[in-house]
Amino acid sequence: MQETVIDAHNLSKIYDEKTIPVYALNKVHLHISRGEFTAIKGPSGSGKTTLLNMIGGLDIPSEGFVEINGTNITELEGNALIDFRLNNIGFVFQSYNLIPVLTAKENIEFIMLLQKRPKKETEQRVLELLKQIGLEDKINKRPRELSGGQQQRVAVARALAPKPQFILADEPTANLDSVSAENLLDMMLKLNQEENMTFVFSTHDQRVINRARRVITLEDGKIVADSAPTSVVHKETAIK
Amino acid sequence: MILTKIASRNIWRSKKRSFTIIIAVSFGLWAGIFMMAFYNGVIEQRINTAISSELSHIQLHHPEFRKDYEIKYHLPEGRKMLEKIGKDSQIKATAGRVTIKGMIASASGSSGITINGVMPIEEQKLTNLSGKIIKGNYFNPKKTNEIILSERLRKKLRLNLNKKAILTFQDEEGNLASGAFRITAIYKTVNTPYDDSNVFVKITDIDSLGGIPNEINEIAVLLKSSKLLDESQKKLKREFPKTEIQNWKEIAPELGYTVSVGDKTMFIFMGIIMLALGFGIVNTMMMAVLERTREIGMLMALGMNKFKIFMMIVLETFFLILAGCPIGIMLALVTIGITKRTGIDFSQFSEAYSSFGYSSVFYPSLSVRQFGIMIILVVITAFVSAIFPAKKALQLNPAESLKK
Repeated sequence: MQETVIDAHNLSKIYDEKTIPVYALNKVHLHISRGEFTAIKGPSGSGKTTLLNMIGGLDIPSEGFVEINGTNITELEGNALIDFRLNNIGFVFQSYNLIPVLTAKENIEFIMLLQKRPKKETEQRVLELLKQIGLEDKINKRPRELSGGQQQRVAVARALAPKPQFILADEPTANLDSVSAENLLDMMLKLNQEENMTFVFSTHDQRVINRARRVITLEDGKIVADSAPTSVVHKETAIK
Repeated sequence: MILTKIASRNIWRSKKRSFTIIIAVSFGLWAGIFMMAFYNGVIEQRINTAISSELSHIQLHHPEFRKDYEIKYHLPEGRKMLEKIGKDSQIKATAGRVTIKGMIASASGSSGITINGVMPIEEQKLTNLSGKIIKGNYFNPKKTNEIILSERLRKKLRLNLNKKAILTFQDEEGNLASGAFRITAIYKTVNTPYDDSNVFVKITDIDSLGGIPNEINEIAVLLKSSKLLDESQKKLKREFPKTEIQNWKEIAPELGYTVSVGDKTMFIFMGIIMLALGFGIVNTMMMAVLERTREIGMLMALGMNKFKIFMMIVLETFFLILAGCPIGIMLALVTIGITKRTGIDFSQFSEAYSSFGYSSVFYPSLSVRQFGIMIILVVITAFVSAIFPAKKALQLNPAESLKK
């Protein structure tokens, strides 16, 4: 049996609780195992980003809780939560969100530096990742000197560098052209296979959905479909 | 290390804004340092003038003398004391005087004055009296009953060189004594009230008239350095325990008060400048934080804790200040250097200044201590100003910030 990395119990996010409650998430249960390559799809406003934010400890659920590797992160506060994110979760954002004043190399090593990892280990890991993402020649380029696809690859490498428990990617291909998007997906799949890294995406992008091993469909804050983990081509199973 | 890197590079992200704050810091620092130096120069000039021309550093009197300025309270064996004091290596110049409160009269009027019976050679070394003469000649050792009075008194009494003025005062026994003195010179200082109330005669002409031949009732002492004041005063008190020995601050408390008021005024000015600087920094850094809401949210999401976020903003502010400091310091030092040589001329207000005892030309000066205080003030202002934007950054919610 695969080890559970993410365990979300009865997650709800309710806005305007005292007036007319709006459910951004409504009693969501979710278990994600190590090594999964999961896409969360759904129309705008279905709660994809909210769910990712809860799993990533960026937002607090109104009800329910999230366990990461057995730690209830909903109970963590302030710096304890920030430190937990630092040491366990990798983030990839839609708009790349690289640190504009740092070079590609410095962006990748950023989290490891925050973790105060040994310099030698950090250097080795960064060079290894730069090679894996095919940007060895862009090592000293700042984000503005890289294309969108290249920036997103750097963002993925940054998330991967400290070898987190899993990577949360919020619409990672939304701002990329099709070639860059395909390249990024190839790279992430390769890393998923080679490093057994768990990926969870929120996406609208059919290319991502097509290549995910598991697809969760959200509508109005509820999971309406969850495909069983399969190989690259998935088959949705309706949830009653 | 990574924080330093990010903070230092962030400065140049918005060049216009950074230059604005660098200019503000430079200007603030320049204005602050220069104001301090200018104010210092004004106060120093007043004190130096008072010490070198009027009061000297220390004065010795009979303990009863300053109650009513009666001539009978002269210094017993004053000339011996003077001789002994003159041998001290810490002393630049010393002179004995007979000082009497009296009246000067001419055919046109009269005026209450202090008659300073001086030793011409010693007084010259002590107060450079001849240097203040604008008409006529200094005392002639061969002549008697000469008087030097100020231009203002001359005008008031409608007198002229070689004309006679009558001095009247109480002698040792309380009887009225008077004598006619021929005007040998007219002097002018920067201190109008002083000019209005002081005339100079030779001590040898006034001591016998007052009934205290060869006696003195005041010894004025000018030291080689103001730093020696406390030490010299204590030493003199030990040597002459029955004599009243006062330093210039005790003789003219209003001057000491000027220094303390000056210091306070200067710090109020500094406070205003620092406040303006602080608001500038807060405004600029607040804009920087608000513009970077998304980025700060991302840093928090990635795992940068609150202390590091806080330090990043503080460091960024600090680097901005650091960039502005050398320019401000250089500008201030150059300005002070130039004006220290040329002086700052306010001649058009000379009448107003002289009525308070000030010259109308000021020479800014700054001590290392004051310079240090100024730098510390700027650094403190920078840190305090950085706290508000840094706190604002800490209040950001990463999930909300990432949406922006």
